[in-house]
Parts: sequence; structure tokens; C-alpha cells
Amino acid sequence: MFDDRSPIYRQIADRIKADVLSGALKADEQVMSTNQYAAYYRINPATAAKAFQQLVDEQVLYKKRGIGMFVSTRARDMLRAQGRETFFGEVVDPMVAEARAIGIPLAEVIRRIEQHENNGGV
Amino acid sequence: MKIFRRLTAALGLFSAMVAGGAFVFVVALTFVVSIFRDVEISAWNVVASQVGPWFLLFIGVYAIHNMMPVAVAHGRTRREFLLAASAFSVVLAVVMTATEWLGFLVEGGIYSLMDWRADEHGAQLSYFLMYLVWIAVGMLCAAAFDRYGGGGLFVLPVALALVVVTRLRMPGSGNLPFVDDTPDLFGSALPAVLVLSFVVALAGTWVIARDMPIRQRTS
Amino acid sequence: MRVEVQGLTVRYGDVTAIDDMSFTLSGNKIYGLLGRNGAGKTSLMSALAGYRKPSGTVQLDGVPVFENAAAMRRVCLVRHSADAADKGDKVSHVLEYGAAWRDTWDNDYALELTELFKIGLRTKVGELSLGQRSALGVVIGLASRSPLTMLDESHLGMDTPTRYAFYDTLLHDFMAHPRTIMISTHLIEELSSLLEEVVIVDAGRLVLQEEADVLRSRGTEVTGNASDVDEFTAGMTVLGEKSLGRTKAAMVYGALEDDQLIRARGLGLELGPIALQDLFVHLTDPVGGKR
Repeated sequence: MFDDRSPIYRQIADRIKADVLSGALKADEQVMSTNQYAAYYRINPATAAKAFQQLVDEQVLYKKRGIGMFVSTRARDMLRAQGRETFFGEVVDPMVAEARAIGIPLAEVIRRIEQHENNGGV
Repeated sequence: MKIFRRLTAALGLFSAMVAGGAFVFVVALTFVVSIFRDVEISAWNVVASQVGPWFLLFIGVYAIHNMMPVAVAHGRTRREFLLAASAFSVVLAVVMTATEWLGFLVEGGIYSLMDWRADEHGAQLSYFLMYLVWIAVGMLCAAAFDRYGGGGLFVLPVALALVVVTRLRMPGSGNLPFVDDTPDLFGSALPAVLVLSFVVALAGTWVIARDMPIRQRTS
Repeated sequence: MRVEVQGLTVRYGDVTAIDDMSFTLSGNKIYGLLGRNGAGKTSLMSALAGYRKPSGTVQLDGVPVFENAAAMRRVCLVRHSADAADKGDKVSHVLEYGAAWRDTWDNDYALELTELFKIGLRTKVGELSLGQRSALGVVIGLASRSPLTMLDESHLGMDTPTRYAFYDTLLHDFMAHPRTIMISTHLIEELSSLLEEVVIVDAGRLVLQEEADVLRSRGTEVTGNASDVDEFTAGMTVLGEKSLGRTKAAMVYGALEDDQLIRARGLGLELGPIALQDLFVHLTDPVGGKR
């Protein structure tokens, strides 16, 4: 469900993007209609429509008139590229700051990451 | 028209059924009484002249106090409701007068069959006008109390004055409190005075209820 | 349906329930009317529904509503004690009134809803529990299919599963038959995801009218060193503050600009969102911080 602490349309958009990234939503797959989405998550249909419109504007989704909305062919690649841009700023930098704050040497962090690499993780 | 139909269907039918029940009851009562003593009065006249007006007063109260807020809550205006209620009061008075006439007819048959004596009763027009005034006065009282709360008390002297005239020349209607012999005040103008009473009560209802707030029901 | 309120005042004797209120609703949305008890929600809705004569103007689609037959046909208000139902009437009679007096009434839907809420048709309204009477109000409101439908505190006495059934029903029917719906409540957390726009009233005055999602982005909680927080929030609308030792948290209302975000980061301040419910509490708090 969605929380009440940030715009719901943004939470919806983020969730659909996450589904595209994880592969739960595939290219050219149809997504739920705004009304289905609204009913399923008990949210205002205008809010759901706003989220979907944003995703269309960002070219994550495309509309087929009279049929519904689908995942763009290149949505996943695009989102991955965007994710890579913000990854260091939003994930790595705070992690480094946190490690410093609690006194973990960065060398130890790096060792841990290398372990993941060796265990076959991506 | 929708409100009028609804009022007639709900309250008109109800009133006729109550009157029918009352008739059966008083006839049965008369038979019981006849075992112990001679029958000398028309039991139906007690209903028609004494109980009837109070019942119609209640119907008038019910229409304004209970039905008008429901009508407004269902998207009808007070004006539409009051129009319908005004027409309904005339129709109900006609229906009740017809019931009263039918009652006397049947009762008369039973009385002559049983060789009972009945006292005299009033003219049809007197009953009709009496019913008409009492319904309207019921509506007037309900409007005043609903709108002004305790301040609605001011309407009671007016209401009393309006109904007093209906008791003049009404045989079997008994005497009013504090007034032993109601004098024959208006002579042949009495029907006109009764119509005027009705119009005054109805006009008062309109003035008070026309822009009355619909209060919340207390549960 | 477009709703225009201009200079509306409602008084009960010496008490002013609505004080010179003006606003416009563009319509065909689900609106939340939020306010504390006695804030004037019911009085406002009563004026919108033509239940009382307004001083000021109340117009629905450009025409005054009071005693206007055409406008009255298109509005339905159910206050918590089910106005459209007399206590002595059976539930089936209440539905008959609706069918007889409302042109837009959908009786099949009304019957379906009474079944959903498990309201016996042969029960008298006065014998229903509070929750069932509230549910009957919802039945009357939704089955009326009025272009302007207002439900006042319709959740009162409903248990949680019933409330969620009510929310689902409302949403489904709104999507099937889009119209202007106004719900007054103070159970904001449960209901807020259903609302498109929020109208907050307090002490008879309009506090704000805003898209719910915009409102969710408007509140920020600024936490950090007390003097830094004070410095940062100077000149902003601060709804409330709380301190613990040298740490202070301030609730700020209004969107933050980029340079403010940068400055906050420079001061080492933590910025967090505020839930709609908390925002409401602070916007209508009589003893709340600086207003």
C-alpha cells in the first residue's frame, strides 16, 4: 500500500518503474488500467491517472488508443541508465558517509564488495 | 405531483384504514354496551366528531415534522412539498368526510335493525370543514415548533382560536374547556369562517415552513 | 458539478458556525472536507444542500440551490443520522421514498447495497445500530446518484471491515458514475488515498483547499541543532515545533526551493515528509506553534 507522507502518484510511478527494472513488467506488456489500479490499491483514479501520465511523459509507458497502456520497448534500458546516473550519489555516497560515521574503514567496505563479486554476484 | 402521490398513498391510505378499524371497534363496543343498557347515542359520532379531528391534527403534524425533512433530503423543495401537502389536506378531508358519511350510513342501518336510538349528528359540510381546519392547524403547530423550538408556544393560542370555530354547531362534540355553551356566533357565515380558518392555518404554515432549516435528527 | 460559495455565513443565535467563507469546487472529483468537531463541516454541507437558507451565495452549476427545484434534484446530503429516513419507517419505505422522489435513484443498486451492508429491509430505522444507520446513509447517498453527493461523517459506528467495504463501494461507484462527491471525516489516514482534493475548515473559516497529492508534498519536518533549525526556518510557515535537548524538529508548510535544500544540507539538517494526518492536525491546532 501507499503511505501518506509523499505524493501517491509518485509512489505509484516509482513502483511501476521498480517492476520494469526487476523484470516483473516486460517490454510491450500491458499494465493495469487506471481504474483497475485505483480499485486494487484503493486510491483515487485521478491520482493513478496522474502517475500513468507521468510514466507516459517519461516514455516508460506508451498508450494504445482504446486498448490501454504498455511498457515501452526501451523502458528498462532507459531506467537502468537513469539508475546508473544516480546510483553513486544516492546509494554509494550515503553508504560511505554511514561507514565513516560508525568507524568502518573504507578498505573493509571494498573487501566486502569484492567478496560479492567473487561469489558470483553481479 | 410525486410528493402528492406519495402523501396520498402513505398517509391517505393509512388514515382510511385507521378510520375503518375505529368503525369496527365502536360497532363492537356498541353491541357490548347494549347488553347492559339502552343505546341512546351514535358511537360513530364520537369518533367522527371528537377522535377524528385529533387524529387529523396528528396527520398534519406528521406531514410537516416527519415527511417534509425527508422530502427535502430527497431533493424536493419546501415549496413543492407545501403545495402537495396543501392539496393533500383537502383530499384527506374529503376522504375522511366520505368515510364519516359511510360510517353513519352503515351505523344507521345497524341501529334501525337493532332498534337503537341515535342522537343527531352534524351536516357533512361541518365535518368536512372541521377536518380541513384540524389538518392545517396540525401542520401549523408542527412548523412553529420545528422552526422555533419552545418559541413555537406562541402558535398555541392562534391554533386554539382556529379550531374553536370548528366546534360550533357540532352536535355531540362536547363542550370546550372553560366554555360551557358555545354561542352561535357567526350564523349562516359559519362555513365561510371555517374556510377562513383553514386558509389562515395554511398560510401560517407556508410563512413559517417556506425557508425553514432542516435540522439534524437526534438519535 | 461546479460548486461556488461566496461570502457564506451561518449563525445559530450567537454562535457563528460559518464565517464569511468563499471557495469554488470545479467538480467531478472526490473531495475531502476536513475539520475538527465543531469546525463547521455540517453547517457548510447543509447550506450546500439547500437544507438552510444561506446568507451569502451558494451556487451549483451557476444557479442558487436554496428552494430551487432544478438544483435540489441534483444534490444529496446525508448527515450522520440519515436525514432521508424517518425513525419510524422501515428500511424498505426509506428506499421507496428515494425511488418515488429522486429521478436519478437506482433502486437495484440500493437493494444491492443494503445486502452488502447487511441492513434488513423490514427493520425500522430507529432500531438499526449506529453503524447500520450510517451504512443506510451511504446507501441513500450513493443510490441517489446525485451529481453532488455529500456524506457527512458516514463512517460513524462502522467497524473496520464495513468501513473498507464503504470505501471500496464508493470508489467503484465513483468510477462507474463520475460525479462530485464530498466526504467529511476526521479519519484522514484511512480515507485520504481516495481523495483527489482536500478542503480544510477550522472555526468556520476556510484554512486551505488543495489537491491531496500536492498537500502531501507541502509539509516538511526539519530536524537538527535547535539554533540551526531556527535559522533555517526563519520566515517560513512553521506549523509546530518540538524539542528534545538541543535537537529540535519543526514542521514547515510550503514547497522548498532547491537553494533551501542545499542550505539545509549545508547546516546538517534532516528533512523528512509529514503525513497528511499530521499536517491536518497542525493546520487546525488551536494551541499549535506559530500560525
